[in-house]
Amino acid sequence: MTTPAEPDLQGEGHSPAMIRADLLAAIFFIVLATAMLYGSWTMDRLEARRIHSFTVPGLVPGLLSAALLICGVVLAVRSLRLPAPGGWTDLGAAITSGAAGRAGIVLVLCLAYTLGLVGLLPFWLATGLFVFAFILVFETWLAEPRRSLLQSLPWAFGLAVATGAIVTLVFERAFLVRLP
Amino acid sequence: MLDGLGMLLGGIAHFLTPLSLFNIAWATLLGIVIGALPGLTATMGVALLVTLTYKMAPDQAILCLMCIYSGAIYGGSRTAILLAIPGTPASAATTLDGHPLALQGKAGLAMGLATTSSALGTVIGIVALALIAPLLAEAALKFGTYEFFWLALFGVVISGQLTAMDDPLKGYIAGILGLMVAMVGMETLHAYQRFTFGIPGLGGGIDLIPAMVGAFGLAEILGVMKRTAHARIVSSGDRVIPKLSEILKYWKTTLRSGVIGTFVGIVPGVGEDVGAWASYAAAKRSSKEAHLFGKGSQEGLIAAETGNSAVVPGAMIPTLTLALPGSAAAAVLIAAMFIHGIRPGPLLMTESPEVLYQIVAVLLFSTLAILVFGLTLTRPLLTVLAVPRERLMAVVYVLCVVGSFAITQRMFDVYVMVGFGIVGFILREMKYPMAPLVLGIILGDLLDLNLRRGLLLTNGDPSPFFTRPISAVICLIIVFTILMSIPAVSKRVRALFTRGSAAPAQS
Repeated sequence: MTTPAEPDLQGEGHSPAMIRADLLAAIFFIVLATAMLYGSWTMDRLEARRIHSFTVPGLVPGLLSAALLICGVVLAVRSLRLPAPGGWTDLGAAITSGAAGRAGIVLVLCLAYTLGLVGLLPFWLATGLFVFAFILVFETWLAEPRRSLLQSLPWAFGLAVATGAIVTLVFERAFLVRLP
Repeated sequence: MLDGLGMLLGGIAHFLTPLSLFNIAWATLLGIVIGALPGLTATMGVALLVTLTYKMAPDQAILCLMCIYSGAIYGGSRTAILLAIPGTPASAATTLDGHPLALQGKAGLAMGLATTSSALGTVIGIVALALIAPLLAEAALKFGTYEFFWLALFGVVISGQLTAMDDPLKGYIAGILGLMVAMVGMETLHAYQRFTFGIPGLGGGIDLIPAMVGAFGLAEILGVMKRTAHARIVSSGDRVIPKLSEILKYWKTTLRSGVIGTFVGIVPGVGEDVGAWASYAAAKRSSKEAHLFGKGSQEGLIAAETGNSAVVPGAMIPTLTLALPGSAAAAVLIAAMFIHGIRPGPLLMTESPEVLYQIVAVLLFSTLAILVFGLTLTRPLLTVLAVPRERLMAVVYVLCVVGSFAITQRMFDVYVMVGFGIVGFILREMKYPMAPLVLGIILGDLLDLNLRRGLLLTNGDPSPFFTRPISAVICLIIVFTILMSIPAVSKRVRALFTRGSAAPAQS
């Protein structure tokens, strides 16, 4: 499981930034639940097939969206009632922090590989380029302390070639998977 | 009873072949390595390896996945002790006493005790699995559509409650989101496509494996890479194999933690981390050396490791008998079983009872492998811990892409993986647990189908959902769980009991 049930010692769960983030999430959940409730209500009730009115396809999605709507409202009310001095500032700082930037760069690299390189280039080459770029970016630019290019380059190149070759060979030859 | 013993011996004999033993060895070792590498979790490992076992015979495929699961839960302890970083969330409680022991120059003892405790915890869980699962499966044959509706809801609610103890509301929201995801695609009662928006890929619904690879793979990569902190390995050259007296000194704690871990495993969607924390808390409460907990207590380490390992076989009890995953990794195992033509659920013991005993046998073998590898491969595992995450995570993402693509060979599943990875990362950052979300995806169809089928059977009358004895009990538990998660209600209930117990003392 991902979230250990350990006591929230730092009180991070109710930090001002988290309270404000909860408010934004609550608004999103309310909008999502309302849209899904509308979708469930207007969903085809298959009257032409004379199905029982209690078995319409929109029944359970409707109930679930109502449940999410209630949870969203409770979350919103709770976020509004809890004091959160400097919450918006802290939240803004968290979103623009170095940590968020690092996660953003990982995401950009992953998306460039998945949506751009895969399909455009042969899979082994796309994979090699991704591994090479990932290692170089995170070892020579975003690492603390940074590694020198000379130190990183052989590793990045070697791993890129090895990953591209091994993954392609193992999946295409041993597991007979047609790679993208 | 004798039938069961015969089938267990049959299960053991079934895997006493060179191929099976070879698979047990590499899969357990790979599991230990996955668990030891920070950022790679048991669930991620099992989800990624489903692809590699796709072409294997069903028994060998399940064998490999079970060994990886069991090995990874143990492997996390190594990182917890030497690096003070839990290799998997299941080892978070191990860090509290394991790392202080390493700092005291007793890293070898800590690793040895973690290994033997893991093995003992798994054995306690295995005994429960062999004894309870057949009984539960027999009882589950009496379950009808009403009971299965409540069981599905119970799974999501209890998982939401227990995996987000600080904020159950977020657990419930995660569970509802998972159930909503399951509503996408063709519903099974009238074969109507819901919320597909004309996208052909959504017609069959969202597959669990790409969703899990995203939520536990890409989300984990993003989470690991955003941090800059580096940990230092603390090791020592002391003895790794513990003395018998050191293992047996805290036998009561071992037994208690094993039972707690097994029970936590049986509860749907509540995984190894809760098992470890619950066992640790119980051990601290009843220990004569409670003051040592958190400062290098051997008892604390034993409790945490026994507790998390006992969850693995415990989680297989509802997984096999009710098709309700006992943990997130067990949810992947259910998906893998379906891929290989094995149908977990109440009919498993009727249709193919040997599967249960084969899984018991696999767990026994993997426990033996854990003991051997854990006590002998100390140095090679140290090398694994030194692998830089910058190099590891790039390769892991490639495996995420291939893993989600390979099963159905559609790029759509890769996009699902990326989508779930991003959403999973944001939800994790905001302290939403992933387990109820996953449980919701897997149980959504069960909940939807059984609610509407039940209403169809009764011509729209919902009363059997509340009047049948088992349904009524599960319904009451759900209502009680939800009410107790409301602070105002739980405060009043607690006050009632406090007053009740305080009154005699005052008179």
